[in-house]
Amino acid sequence: MPLRGAGKQQKTVFELIIVRFFSVYYGVIEEGIGYMEPAGIRFIKKRDSRVVPFDITKIDEAIFRAARTQGGTDRTMSRALAEQVASMLAAERNETPDVEHVQDVVEKVLIENGHARTAKAYILYRNERTRVREMKTRLMNTLRDLSFTDAKDLDLKRENANIDGDTPMGTMLRYGSEAAKAFYKNYLLSPEHSRAHEEGDIHIHDLDFLSLTTTCCQIDIKKLFNGGFNTGHGFLREPNSIQCASALACIAIQSNQNDQHGGQSIPNFEYGLAPGVARSFIKNIDLALDMRDADEDFRSSVKAALSGFAFPTGEYASFRSILGEEGLAFVRSQLVKGIAAEEADRVVAKAVARTDKDTYQAMEGLLHNLNTMHSRAGAQVPFSSINYGTDTSAEGRMVIRNTLLAEDAGLGNGETPIFPIHIFKVREGYSFNPEDPNYDLFKLACRVSAKRLFPNFSFMEAPINREYLQGDDPDHEVAYMGCRTRVMANRYDKSRETTFGRGNLSFTTINLPRLGLKHRGDIEGFFEDLNKVIDLVFSQLLERFEIQSHKRCRNYPFLMGQGIWLDSDNLTSFDEVGEILKHGTLTTGFIGLAECLKALLGVHHGESAEAQELGLRIVRTIRERSDAQGEKTGLNFTVIATPAEGLAGRFVKYDRKLFGSIPGITDRDYYTNSFHIPVYFPITAFNKIRLEAPYHAFTNGGHISYVEVDGDPLNNLQAFEDIVKAMKEMGIGYGSINHPVDRDPVCGYTGIIGDVCPRCGRRDGEGIPLSTLKRLKGYVCDSRSSDERSESRDKIANIKL
Amino acid sequence: MIHCKSEMAAADADQILIGSNVKFERIRRITGYLVGTLDRFNNGKAAEERERVKHCSMDAWK
Repeated sequence: MPLRGAGKQQKTVFELIIVRFFSVYYGVIEEGIGYMEPAGIRFIKKRDSRVVPFDITKIDEAIFRAARTQGGTDRTMSRALAEQVASMLAAERNETPDVEHVQDVVEKVLIENGHARTAKAYILYRNERTRVREMKTRLMNTLRDLSFTDAKDLDLKRENANIDGDTPMGTMLRYGSEAAKAFYKNYLLSPEHSRAHEEGDIHIHDLDFLSLTTTCCQIDIKKLFNGGFNTGHGFLREPNSIQCASALACIAIQSNQNDQHGGQSIPNFEYGLAPGVARSFIKNIDLALDMRDADEDFRSSVKAALSGFAFPTGEYASFRSILGEEGLAFVRSQLVKGIAAEEADRVVAKAVARTDKDTYQAMEGLLHNLNTMHSRAGAQVPFSSINYGTDTSAEGRMVIRNTLLAEDAGLGNGETPIFPIHIFKVREGYSFNPEDPNYDLFKLACRVSAKRLFPNFSFMEAPINREYLQGDDPDHEVAYMGCRTRVMANRYDKSRETTFGRGNLSFTTINLPRLGLKHRGDIEGFFEDLNKVIDLVFSQLLERFEIQSHKRCRNYPFLMGQGIWLDSDNLTSFDEVGEILKHGTLTTGFIGLAECLKALLGVHHGESAEAQELGLRIVRTIRERSDAQGEKTGLNFTVIATPAEGLAGRFVKYDRKLFGSIPGITDRDYYTNSFHIPVYFPITAFNKIRLEAPYHAFTNGGHISYVEVDGDPLNNLQAFEDIVKAMKEMGIGYGSINHPVDRDPVCGYTGIIGDVCPRCGRRDGEGIPLSTLKRLKGYVCDSRSSDERSESRDKIANIKL
Repeated sequence: MIHCKSEMAAADADQILIGSNVKFERIRRITGYLVGTLDRFNNGKAAEERERVKHCSMDAWK
C-alpha cells in the first residue's frame, strides 16, 4: 500500500510532506513583485493593498524557477522575458498595477514567446499559491473566531459537548485542531479524499489526529497491573488493596487517553479489580487479628497462607477467589490454628464487612476521579467506559454492587456522574435470568440506570455477539467502548478474537442522504454510486493506516510502551507499530439512513416495511463490501453506526445548499443518527427496538439503540426492566434508555424538573431566600430520602411512564 | 458555587437570595456520552435534542 502511489515504500510520510510543501514554496512568485524602471512602472500594489517598489528581479526569478522545473537553465532568457513583462506593463500606463495583473502579464508573455510548458508550470505554481493563501486566510479567520467569540455564539467551539471551548486549554485544543486539519487537508490527504471530505460526501473523523495516532483501546487492567507498570514518569507497583487498584485503573485510563484521540474503556472492570478486593480482605483479616492482639508469628503465618491461597504465584493475575464459600472455609481453617472458632467467625465477618466498605469507597473514589482528573492539557476529563456484569466470584460481585451503589449515590452533592459510561453485560446463566448468580445485580443495574442513565446494557447473546462466547472466559465476551465502538472478530489473527487490548484505528462516514438525494427514486443508480463512495472510503482508510503504520512504539509511551495494545509488549521503542496495529479496525460509518430512505422512497423505515427492507439492503451492502475488503487486505474492515456529534449538523448544511430545503430530508438542522428511527417520529418503544435490532447484526464496528422514556422510570422499574428484556429478546447488541435527569444545583434536587424545582420551588435562574434553603438542609446531599425511595420502589408497574 | 461566606454573614438570611442566575442542570445523552448541560451542545445536536419524542407510554408498550 504505497502512499498515494508515491513509489518506494521507504518514502516516509515526512518526506512526502516535504515534497508537497516545497513544490509549493519553490519557484513561486512571492507576493512582492517590485521594480525600479525602465519606462514608467515604479510601484506595484500588493494583495493587502500596500504599495511597494517594483522589482524586476522578482519576475526574472519566478520565470527562471518555472523554467527550471521543465529543465531550463537560461538566465538570459528569463531576464529578457521579465523585461518584456515590464515594458508591457509600462505601455498600459497604469502607474501602480496590482500583483494579480502582473502575474497575468507574465503568463501572457510566456505563452506569446512560445514557452508553453514554462507557462503551464508558472500557472500551476500560481494556483497553488492562491490555494495556500486562501487556506491561510480561512485558518486565520477561524483562529480569530476561536479567540474572540464565546462558545455560545460559535458552533465550532461546541464541536464536542464535553469540552468547554471557553477555557484557555479548551481554546488551545481548538487552535491545534483547526490548524492541524488545515495542514492535512492541504498537504497530506490525497486531493480526492480531501475534496470528498470538504464537499461533504464523506466525513473523515478526528482528522486533526490524522498523522498522529489511532482512535481507542480496551485496556485489560488485570494484565496491566500484573507486575506493576510505568506511566512514563514513575513506576507503580502491583496494587495491594482495592482502593489502590481503583486509583490505578483511573491512571491507566488517563495515561492512555493522552496517547489516543478517542475514548478509553476497560473490558474486564470487575475481573480486573477482584484481586484488589482479595488483597484488601487479607489485610483486613490481619487488621482484625491485630485488634485482638494476636501473636505476631500467628498473624504472619495466616497472612502468608491466605496470600498463598488467593495468589498462588504471588502475582496479581494469579488470583483465585478467597471470599467465596471455599475460600472462607480455608480462611477459617487457618484462623482456628490460633484462635477459637467463634472468634474466627467474628474476625471473618468483620473483615468481609470492612472489605465491602473499602470497595464502596474505592468505587466512590473512582467515580470522583474520573469526573475530575484531566487529560489533554486540562481541556477535558478522559472519556472513560467500564464493562462489567458477568463475574460471579464474591470479589467480582462486590466490585459490581459497589460500583452501582456509588453511581446511585452520585458525586459530592448528589450530581449524576457524567463519566465513566457504565456498561452492564447481560448474559444468560450469569446476569439475566432470576436463577442466575448475578440476577440481583442486573436488577440493581436497572434501578441505577433508571435514576442515573447509566449503566447502558450490552447483550452477550445478541446474534452478532453470541458466537464468540467461550465458557466463563471474559476474554470472549464482547465489550463495548461507551460511545458504541465494538471490536471482536480478528481477521489478522483468528486465534485472537477478543476485545482486550484492541480498538478502532480510524473511521470515516458516508453521507447517505446525499446519495439518496442524487438518485431520488432510482434505487440501482443509488447503489452504483454508494459502491463508488465505499471504494473511496476504503482507499482513504488504507492511506491513513499507512501513515499510522510508520509511527513508532516510542510515540505511544503508555499504549505501546506499557503493553496495553495487543502484542505491543513484543516491540522495542524504535519499532514501527504497523504490524500490531493490524489487530485494530478500519471502519466505515454511515449517517442519516432515515433521510436517505425518505429521498429514495418518500418514507423512512419507521413508516414503511418496504423502506425497512431497503434500509437493511443498504447497510448489508456496506457490510458485505467491508467484509470483502477485509478478505482482500487481511485487515479488520468493519462497519459502524456512526456516533455523529459535530457531523450531525455538518452534512445537512451542505446538502441544503445543494438541494434546497426538502421536507423530511434537509429541513432540519441535523441528520438522523446512523440507522436510528428519526427522533421526532412517534413510535412505540417496542417497535423502535424491533426495527433497529436487525441493523445491530450488520454493524460489527459498533451500534447503539435508545429508547426515550417519559416521566421518572424509578416509579415503574418493572417497565424499565421489560424494555431491557425486549432489547435482549430482539437481538439488540448494545442499548440504553434515555429519560430526563435534571438537577437543581441550588437545593440539590435530582429528578425531573419542569419549570419549577419540586424541592425548593424556584424557577430556572431565579434566586430563593437563604432561609428557605436552610429549612431544606439535610436534603441537599441526597436527592431522595430513604422513605421516598422505598415508597417509589413499592409503586406497582403498569402506570404510565 | 452558590454563595460566599462574607455575603452570608453580612445580611439577614431572609434578604439574601440564593441561586440568582443559577440554571437547572439538564443531563442528556449525546452520542453515548452524558453531558451535564445543554449549553455545550452544538447547533445540530441541540436541534435534535429538542425534537426527541418519547417512545414509552406503557399503555402502548407490548
